[in-house]
Amino acid sequence: MVDFTILENFQFVVTSHDLELTEREIMPMTSAMSAMRSLALNRNRNRNRNRNRNRNRNRNRNRNRADPFGQADSAILEPWEERARLYALRDEWMDLPVPLPPSLPELRAHALDLLKKQALLSLPQHVGRRDEILVEAELELSRYLRPFGIETHGGYDATISLMLTVMALTDEIGLYYKARWNVPRPNQVEPRLRNFLAAPAHASYPSNHAFQSFALAFVMSRVIPEHPGSGQLFLSARRIAENREWAGVHYACDTAAGHALARMILPVLEKVLQKNMLAAQAEWM
Amino acid sequence: MNSATPRLRYDSLWHLTALGVLTRENMPNTWLPEDVKKPARVALIDTSVAMDHPNLRGAINQKLAFDLFSTRLGAFPGLLGQTCLGELGLGTAQAVVAGLPGCQALLDALDARLGPDQPPCIGTIQPATSSVFSGHGTAIAGLIGARPVVVPMAEAYRDDPRDTTLALPYCGVDPTCEIIPISTNFDTDPEQMILAFLYAERIKADVIVLPRGIPDPFRMQPELYAHDLGGRNLGELTAPCPISDEARALWAELAELIVKISLRRPIVCAAGNENEEYGIYPANLASEDNGVISVGAVNAKGWACSYSPPSGLTVWGPSTDAESFVEGDVRLDMSRHRADTRGVPRENNTARFSHFEIISTDVPGQGGYSASPYDGAEPEDGLREFGSFFCRFGGTSAASAIIGGLLALGRGLGKIPVDADGVDAKAWLLQSCVTPVANQPNVCVPCLDGLGAFPVDSTP
Repeated sequence: MVDFTILENFQFVVTSHDLELTEREIMPMTSAMSAMRSLALNRNRNRNRNRNRNRNRNRNRNRNRADPFGQADSAILEPWEERARLYALRDEWMDLPVPLPPSLPELRAHALDLLKKQALLSLPQHVGRRDEILVEAELELSRYLRPFGIETHGGYDATISLMLTVMALTDEIGLYYKARWNVPRPNQVEPRLRNFLAAPAHASYPSNHAFQSFALAFVMSRVIPEHPGSGQLFLSARRIAENREWAGVHYACDTAAGHALARMILPVLEKVLQKNMLAAQAEWM
Repeated sequence: MNSATPRLRYDSLWHLTALGVLTRENMPNTWLPEDVKKPARVALIDTSVAMDHPNLRGAINQKLAFDLFSTRLGAFPGLLGQTCLGELGLGTAQAVVAGLPGCQALLDALDARLGPDQPPCIGTIQPATSSVFSGHGTAIAGLIGARPVVVPMAEAYRDDPRDTTLALPYCGVDPTCEIIPISTNFDTDPEQMILAFLYAERIKADVIVLPRGIPDPFRMQPELYAHDLGGRNLGELTAPCPISDEARALWAELAELIVKISLRRPIVCAAGNENEEYGIYPANLASEDNGVISVGAVNAKGWACSYSPPSGLTVWGPSTDAESFVEGDVRLDMSRHRADTRGVPRENNTARFSHFEIISTDVPGQGGYSASPYDGAEPEDGLREFGSFFCRFGGTSAASAIIGGLLALGRGLGKIPVDADGVDAKAWLLQSCVTPVANQPNVCVPCLDGLGAFPVDSTP
């Protein structure tokens, strides 16, 4: 049963800087009531509760520090603590039920789609996609920062650091899953493919570009779900993942597996990266 | 809000007074908790919820909480200690998937998933429901159904040894209801949202609250598809990735499914926070002949909040206002530190701005919208502070949660009959409406007593 006497006797009052717990009226003194009265004297316990609220207002003041060479944002210290936590939880992520890769005949069928993309990519209307593929071949954060509108804004160092750390950890996790199935790259299955990019030396399934990009999208979906950019980041991630198909280095099933793995592993990443995610979240509050 | 507004002092439950749910003394207004014969069941499709929040412990049905964030066919975060689901007491959803083959296939998969012999989690996949990153859902749940409680105070943090307990006098609109969180991610995935709605149907929710949008590429900005550019429409040309025919069909089915379910039970949707012309999707599905309820926001003075969509709304609910400095609505907080009068036209809406903000429950400790000053886990013997347990909140998310709670209370009190469908529930809501500001006749706010108490904020 709902106890409305609590509301009858006490009240949260909102002030310009606080939430105060107050007694509504002086009540007959009992031992319990005296305790409550003393609580009322301590009512400013939460004076720091909104300490981050106004940070955004000063966000752009001193920064437009985008490095023209794209290097400034790609530097974090080796995330050894996060890696240690990741391996302490290895039982939680090394056997996730990622679908088994397709058989070789099925992969050959998938490669047909890549041949079509290869033919289309040479057409003039796809020059933009060719540029994207080249930029995305290396770790480059602008595609992930753009949905949140912070490509050139300051004050988001923890968010950027979180993104880079997610990339570092998922790169390693993805390599583990690739080695598990050792699926050949598309050009090994379909020799008529002339990759736009050289195929990396490791196995194809799942796509690490897909896995890393979607993992980042799922992480940000937990950090700031109410930001419209969280939904947009999934579209960016899909574009980046599909660009690897257009480049001839991944089948569509690699993309799908990367997405599936990213979704499944989020609860583990959330444990490993809780501190980093909280620091990033504080930049948006 | 800052120290430049020293006079500011208001009750954290002002929105309940405004809606006629509580008196100014914060007692139930013309109703009693004992009047609720059968607590209403609210399905909350949003982020996860901090189920351990003391004001929410009695409100959340942990057994039926369902997580679709990390698991395609869902996980049960409240049943992790069990080997199988057991009997969940669910209903059927067959009636709502007739003529929707994609939804039928997903319902078949969901039905198999919800069998009594099924495990709470699929394989090694864990639910993504940790409290720390459950801020939005926790605030929404608190607005709907938080209960006032008294909790123990951690011994090491008592300023006075007699401070053994701490009152948390916070209350949702319907403190008798039962909330079932259905947690989702924000991927552009129609399948996930179809499963969320099918589960809401299977748990026989009295009210479905959706305080978020759905990123349907065809329905978020439908006008894009009406613009032709060289024989192709703008929607296709600007899509980051081509959308398969299968996905297109599923998005269309989801829209149909939402309307079909709304005919059986009301679906309360946030209308958007950016003056979207007809509200965001799926709030923009609301029409006279379905049970989709599109909720805009009014401030404590009764004026539509500056960000609230201007048209296509069903009702408005109380929320936090925001400044606006655009043609047609110059509404500034002139008591703000360093408030600037330059460029402010003589005719403006600044008097309409209200400082009153919505307060709701927040993730305890670290995380959420207001963080604890203390690091580390919460002590087991009680609270060490209460500031991190509450937050300022707003937007049409808050307004939709409040209206969802009002529907739940209406259902619990029997004002909405047990056999009422979504359209009937919506009709009750509309019948209960008042116009909080006389010269703003198109803005109507449902009130439990049919009267309400606007304006709550009478500051100039």
